[in-house]
Amino acid sequence: MAGFADLNLPAGPDKKGLQSLLEAAARLGYSAVALNHVIDFKEKKQEIVKPASPSELFPSLPIVQGTSKRIKVLNRLTLIVSDPSHCNLLRSTSANIRLYDIIAVFPKTEKLFHIACTTLDVDLVCINVTEKLPFYFRRPPVNVAIDRGIYFELLYTPAIKDSTMRRYTISNAISLMQICKGKNIVMSSAAERPLELRGPYDVANLGLLFGMSESEAKAAVSTNCRATLLHGETRKSACGVVYTVKKPRKVEEEETTLPACKKAKTQA
Amino acid sequence: MARADPPPPPPAAFERRVLRSAAEHHYLRVRLELPDGGARPSAAQFKQLVVTALRELHGEVGAALPVDVLTYEEKTLSAILRVTSSGLVKLWSALTLLGFYQNRRCAFRVLQTSPFLLALSGNSRELVLD
Repeated sequence: MAGFADLNLPAGPDKKGLQSLLEAAARLGYSAVALNHVIDFKEKKQEIVKPASPSELFPSLPIVQGTSKRIKVLNRLTLIVSDPSHCNLLRSTSANIRLYDIIAVFPKTEKLFHIACTTLDVDLVCINVTEKLPFYFRRPPVNVAIDRGIYFELLYTPAIKDSTMRRYTISNAISLMQICKGKNIVMSSAAERPLELRGPYDVANLGLLFGMSESEAKAAVSTNCRATLLHGETRKSACGVVYTVKKPRKVEEEETTLPACKKAKTQA
Repeated sequence: MARADPPPPPPAAFERRVLRSAAEHHYLRVRLELPDGGARPSAAQFKQLVVTALRELHGEVGAALPVDVLTYEEKTLSAILRVTSSGLVKLWSALTLLGFYQNRRCAFRVLQTSPFLLALSGNSRELVLD
């Protein structure tokens, strides 16, 4: 079973705040989080910085509740694109882009949404949840995105902060659900404080409110996050990734502990 | 494309039984998280907070949902709520989206939910396994 993941924790200069966020996420049961670096092309002089490796930032990562493993920290890059020329950056093989585990785009117009879904080499497409949608989702680009294994991201923290944004979050989420039918959705937080984080089961329950089924809602915080991560990893390799897991060995003592009379019967 | 008629299905060797959860109520064990040094709600204020959360998200219909606070500990801010099964998603989502108590940030942590009250007496997630 894929563990729970939160693919959007804003990475800021505040290391102490980030540490407390990580601790809160681990306590709530998230086994992986992604630190989000945002690049907005509207502001001048935006450079893609080299992400710091999590082990440098945090010497000791907190242990996930209920397991004995430490939380996994990833790096994610979000590009806010409002003009088609901004996408050139993704096509060029910039060295720094390759250092990020997940790449997301936030399209501002319908045309860019179409480009993001159909041609761009990204893992996540962010859905605007803080204002009224500037365009309607259309079926063709969304279907192409689902075929290509690109996921749509919905944030829930704006819905906690403000009642107007809550309205937009729910209405935009429902209109997306009508098109993608609950498939390929990732729900993440974008929480800046530990009190804005919610547990994975709470978020899955929120998915029911957005019109997903129970299994789709749970996938939105677990398996879909893992799929996004693997999709990001395929970018670094030639064609794909294969994971091997050690299979727990069958206990062979069972046979030997059987009474001798039963053994003889099966052989006869 | 020509298709051969499928052979008649063999008589079912099994009987289908659908068991729906007949439980009338669901129980939730919740904990309210407040920033340090804030005023702690009393039991009545706690119930008021839950109803406010329901009204914020689901309006008057939500506020009319039968929710009971069975136990409430002011020291740990943890409580056990009872809600009719059909209102579980409404109550849970309302608690999730509650962000403020008296203009200060707060968060509801839903620790456990179950159709059986007895199940809340222990929590397997808190067990230390090795």
